[in-house]
Amino acid sequence: MNYPMWDVPVIGSGWVIGMIAIFHVLVSHFAVGGGLYLPLAERKALKEGRDDWMEAVRMHAKFFLVLTLVFGAVTGVAIWFSIGLASPESTSTLIHNFVFGWAIEWTFFIIEITAALVYYYTWGRISNQLHLTIGYIYAGAAWLSLVIINGILTFMLTPGSTWLSVAGSGTEPSAFWYAFFNPTYWPSLILRTLVCVALAGVWAMVTASRIDGFEKPQLKAEILRWSTKWLVPAFTLMPFVFVWYLWSVPESQRQLLQLGVSTIGAGVFTQVTRAALVTVMTSATILGISYFLAYRNPRDFTFGHACSVLFLALAATAATEQAREMLRKPYTIGQHMYSNGVRKSQVAGFNQSGYLSNSPWAQGSNETGRLMFKGQCLSCHTVDGYRSMRSLLAGRDHDSIANVLKTLHQAGDDSPYKAYMPPLVGQPTEIEALTGYLTEMVRRPSAPAAGDN
Amino acid sequence: MSESSTTLPAAPLDEPSTRRTLLRVGLGAAAAGYGAALAYPVYRYLATPVERAAEAGAVTQISIPKTDEPPAGSALMLQFGARPAMLIHHADGSLVCFDAVCTHLGCTVQFEPDQKRIFCACHSGVYDMRTGQVVGGPPPRSLGVYHVEATDGDIIISRV
Amino acid sequence: MATSSYPGSEPRPSSGLYGWLDQRLGLEELAAFGRKKMVPLHAHSFWYYWGGLSLFFFLIQVTTGVLLLVYFRPGPDAYNSVRQITYDVEFGWLIRSAHNWSANLMVLAVFVHMFSVFLMKAYRNPRELGWWSGLALLGVTMVFGFSGYLLPMDELSYFATKIGLEIPAMVPVLGPLIADLVRGGPTVGAETVQRFFALHVVVLPLLFIPILMFHLMLVQKHGNAVPPSEEAKDPAMRRAIPFFPNFLAKDLAMWLIALNVVAILASMFPWSLGPQADPLTPAPLGIHPEWYFMAQFQFLKVLGRIVPGLAGEFVGIGLFTAMLAAWALVPLFDTASASQRKARAATWFGFCAIGAVVLLTVWGYWEV
Repeated sequence: MNYPMWDVPVIGSGWVIGMIAIFHVLVSHFAVGGGLYLPLAERKALKEGRDDWMEAVRMHAKFFLVLTLVFGAVTGVAIWFSIGLASPESTSTLIHNFVFGWAIEWTFFIIEITAALVYYYTWGRISNQLHLTIGYIYAGAAWLSLVIINGILTFMLTPGSTWLSVAGSGTEPSAFWYAFFNPTYWPSLILRTLVCVALAGVWAMVTASRIDGFEKPQLKAEILRWSTKWLVPAFTLMPFVFVWYLWSVPESQRQLLQLGVSTIGAGVFTQVTRAALVTVMTSATILGISYFLAYRNPRDFTFGHACSVLFLALAATAATEQAREMLRKPYTIGQHMYSNGVRKSQVAGFNQSGYLSNSPWAQGSNETGRLMFKGQCLSCHTVDGYRSMRSLLAGRDHDSIANVLKTLHQAGDDSPYKAYMPPLVGQPTEIEALTGYLTEMVRRPSAPAAGDN
Repeated sequence: MSESSTTLPAAPLDEPSTRRTLLRVGLGAAAAGYGAALAYPVYRYLATPVERAAEAGAVTQISIPKTDEPPAGSALMLQFGARPAMLIHHADGSLVCFDAVCTHLGCTVQFEPDQKRIFCACHSGVYDMRTGQVVGGPPPRSLGVYHVEATDGDIIISRV
Repeated sequence: MATSSYPGSEPRPSSGLYGWLDQRLGLEELAAFGRKKMVPLHAHSFWYYWGGLSLFFFLIQVTTGVLLLVYFRPGPDAYNSVRQITYDVEFGWLIRSAHNWSANLMVLAVFVHMFSVFLMKAYRNPRELGWWSGLALLGVTMVFGFSGYLLPMDELSYFATKIGLEIPAMVPVLGPLIADLVRGGPTVGAETVQRFFALHVVVLPLLFIPILMFHLMLVQKHGNAVPPSEEAKDPAMRRAIPFFPNFLAKDLAMWLIALNVVAILASMFPWSLGPQADPLTPAPLGIHPEWYFMAQFQFLKVLGRIVPGLAGEFVGIGLFTAMLAAWALVPLFDTASASQRKARAATWFGFCAIGAVVLLTVWGYWEV
């Protein structure tokens, strides 16, 4: 452990990333899909000589610019900060492997930003053809940045056997392209592209909903109808690509979807049921509202409806992204690094020579139990909030907690935790200190949180 | 109040029929998916006792302690999985066990030692007390028979 | 939504199943009536949906409530049966969580509906009876919430009910007698669950449904009220959409979204079940009534501090009753023909009431 842990009370550091990332996903996928939407809408308006369309597209471009360049870029940087703080080890591994990849992405990103600014500010000032070309350049650069980042994202779930064979040898970059075009690369790229196109339609529905349907019924109806069609590819192809994606994930990880929701009624409600329930319901609602209101009855489609569709899209995205994160447990980098930053290859060594003696930031401290807790539990658990240790261990005494930790430490095939929790590493004295620390934590009386009924 | 039926662009009913079919299929699938997402939890919720009973019914063998053995010439009603069973201790010392559900309409049958028969009071079905075969009345089939084995301390009843 | 949602679209030919039903039920007449009925459209139209949302949450309550009845056992076994529903029966926790979440959302929707009706002045003549029946529905809804909260009989619900019953117990002279009758004895126990259960699943629905019918009938008779800002407009400038199919489609979309919200909340944030209620264990810290009783509770608590003792109880209950009465009787004060001054006073009263409720609720949670 080269870095100290980031302690975020109540929600835990994972949710800091989660909250930023869900928002970023909505905006960044819009940045890609919307990039294609704008020039295509502009082309249609030019071809049909529709000035009112042109004005509406321009308004959408303004909204697009503010949302993607400001919020998209800010949340993108925020993800960097939060992952650097929450899982420094895996961030470091990613940088060591993909620094070249990020350099390429950065190039596309610069082209993307420049093209977006030029596109908006040259509106009506340069020839239509050139303006359209700039729009296409934007669309291409934006999509290519997805092409690059997708390699890195999918790598974390499925690094692939070639990269794993050189992992830890110091020559990992030699397997760069194997790591990049890893087993889930293609299905994920197509999935994300479909999401981009669908979100372009959803966001366009948001701006189009603000057109007054009584004053400009024709315009509102046309734009809304044209925008809803952007949902069609996603709704027809997504189920198939999703099956392909799941099929590319190793069997051991797929089984995690059978895991019950650990907090309540374990075994009766698996992750896959939960994700499927939310995704199916929200997707069907989006389809229903898009068709029956936006398409069939565009005049009555309000800003509120558009926001609801957006909210439901957010819920569906959050549910599926969370299921995808779930698939990766107990690793941050599949088969290589556990979620608390311990490498699979280090486990035996840490058990031998001690966990904290290998943690530079923990030298000279005598709070072994607390530091063990920070180092190995805190990346997924909190004391009182999300996956609360206090409530998960409630009612257990010293011996009982010692037993749980023993199971975690041995991580045998019969361990119920093995599928989703890293093994607990360290020498017996360190584990004993952690036992004492947790026992003390559980024994301290605590007030139930307000509203916790 | 303004008139509602402002002129809107042509209703999308004149679309090519293949596209309309696709749309209908898509909407139908979405509605079916939504309905299933609602119905599945409710079905499982209501069906839980049924599932539990089926699990209990999957029992292939039960055992009772020898001390619970009925006196010779009498029967003991017991639960085999989800169904009632009848363990008869005949006067000659032999043990037989039947599925105690009448094959006619599912009433629970009774052992009548004085009449030397198994009788169903619902429609006067009569079974042989040693083999379970139909002797009289409406039952279409003989009673199900279990295998009985007496060990040192227990009586073990199992599916044949 | 099978019919075309286009205004002015042709009525369907009377054939097939629809035709068969139409001849017997007069569906076309109903649809024609719905097409003729107009719903005003303006900047505050959003608030029109909250009444419908309240109704929808009530329907979810009825459905999930009936499902819970399948396994719930009132009386001494209450806790165990809820434990069984939560941990043992497949998806039982989902049904229970949906019932809980939808209950809270229903109370929220009813409150939003009431405050928006107040601020849009939709209580003015001839809609006074709508206002009063709505208040009655709110009252029944809150008793629904209070009685339902106890039924699981876990630690939190036990102590929260105990505390909640301090409010009726504060009624001078008769208070203790009322509280004893409600509890079925001097303490909250199996007897209380049994009578709360009877109240929750039989008495309250029997009260609620007729009042609801009356309320809906009045809405149908008088139509949606428009706020003063719309009344001030030139009638030619006002907009409206037909109830059928346009408003209905939007209303159904709202319901669908609400159903999604319930499903997401229930599956992502399932309701937990605490340890079994035990009168002998000390109350856990931070026990408080449900959020929709917090303002009232805090009000009485604060007044009790200012005016201690029996006098405080009299003053508290007196003031509380007076304010409730003023709130209920506002249609008699701010009538359709009332002066500008009176209308403004009523609006201020509304904003102050919302402010006070929010403030007291936050204050209450602050002190927990």
